[in-house]
Amino acid sequence: MNTCAGVFAVSCTREPSTRAETLQRERQLNQFLAEVERRALRIAEIGIRDRDEALDLVQDAMIKLVRNYGSRSQQEWAPLFYRILQNGVRDWHRRQKVRNRVMVWFGRASSADEEYDVIAQAPDPEGRTPDEELQTEEAMQRLELAVHALPTRQREAFMLRSFEGLDVAGTAVAMGCSEGSVKTHYSRAVHTLREKLGDHWQ
Amino acid sequence: MNEPTDKATNDPRKDAQFADEAKQLFDDSVDSLDAATLSRLNQGRHRALAELSSTRTRGQWLGWIPAAGVAVAVLVTVMIMRGPNGVDIPIESVTTTDFEILLDEDSLEMLEDLEFYSWLESVDLDANGNVG
Repeated sequence: MNTCAGVFAVSCTREPSTRAETLQRERQLNQFLAEVERRALRIAEIGIRDRDEALDLVQDAMIKLVRNYGSRSQQEWAPLFYRILQNGVRDWHRRQKVRNRVMVWFGRASSADEEYDVIAQAPDPEGRTPDEELQTEEAMQRLELAVHALPTRQREAFMLRSFEGLDVAGTAVAMGCSEGSVKTHYSRAVHTLREKLGDHWQ
Repeated sequence: MNEPTDKATNDPRKDAQFADEAKQLFDDSVDSLDAATLSRLNQGRHRALAELSSTRTRGQWLGWIPAAGVAVAVLVTVMIMRGPNGVDIPIESVTTTDFEILLDEDSLEMLEDLEFYSWLESVDLDANGNVG
């Protein structure tokens, strides 16, 4: 009788604590994703130059992170999330290549760049004069085009280090390469961008 | 705006300055995302978080599978032992007797002449064993 009561008491106390832990984890994941989602979208968008597709990729990355790595420590989430997202971007480019090859076969080749309307996709600015607004937009467009034109690994290193602010170790995890490679790719990317845009391009 | 330099000098300070300016522009573009896009991001995030609860529910059900398996096995064993009308079947009749029948050579012969035995049961025999 006493043993049964003991078992019951243990099971009763363990259940709410597990539920509380799950709720807390859900809150932490929600906070992490809310912090990262907008930058992630812009990074994906610069990578593939299509906002709708970028939204899908970000959502897929969020689902995969929650499903597969939600139980990992919070410090690991950012590199893992960006690793999933970068894989998504690479897969997207692979699919586009195949699609374009098929379209060439049927004589209807298309490019995402051709369909991408930079003006239509430009962010909705606030609190700036039209001149400032135009200048910023133009500068961002130049930057986006230059970043997009970088080799894939350089682009990833630059965006993760500069835009997302991951450290070298985190970027290495996100890119699935060594820290030395991250430094090399990042340095080359900055050098190429400076060459292309100049030092005072804004 | 200055014209792009032909060859950017390898200057860490200028690299850092360039990266800062790029980051500032990027952050501006992030802050200026339109409401429709933000709404879609929000929906995507909630869809992802719903995955957490479905995984939890799935996990709970998976945890019950071994216990349910054992319960079904016990139930089936009890039903076999008790027979169809709740009458206890002696364990011997399920195990030993059946095995004896199966292993007995005569029973195999009986199976071969099954047709004959069915006919024998259906006809009347007189005291001398002749068909009546």
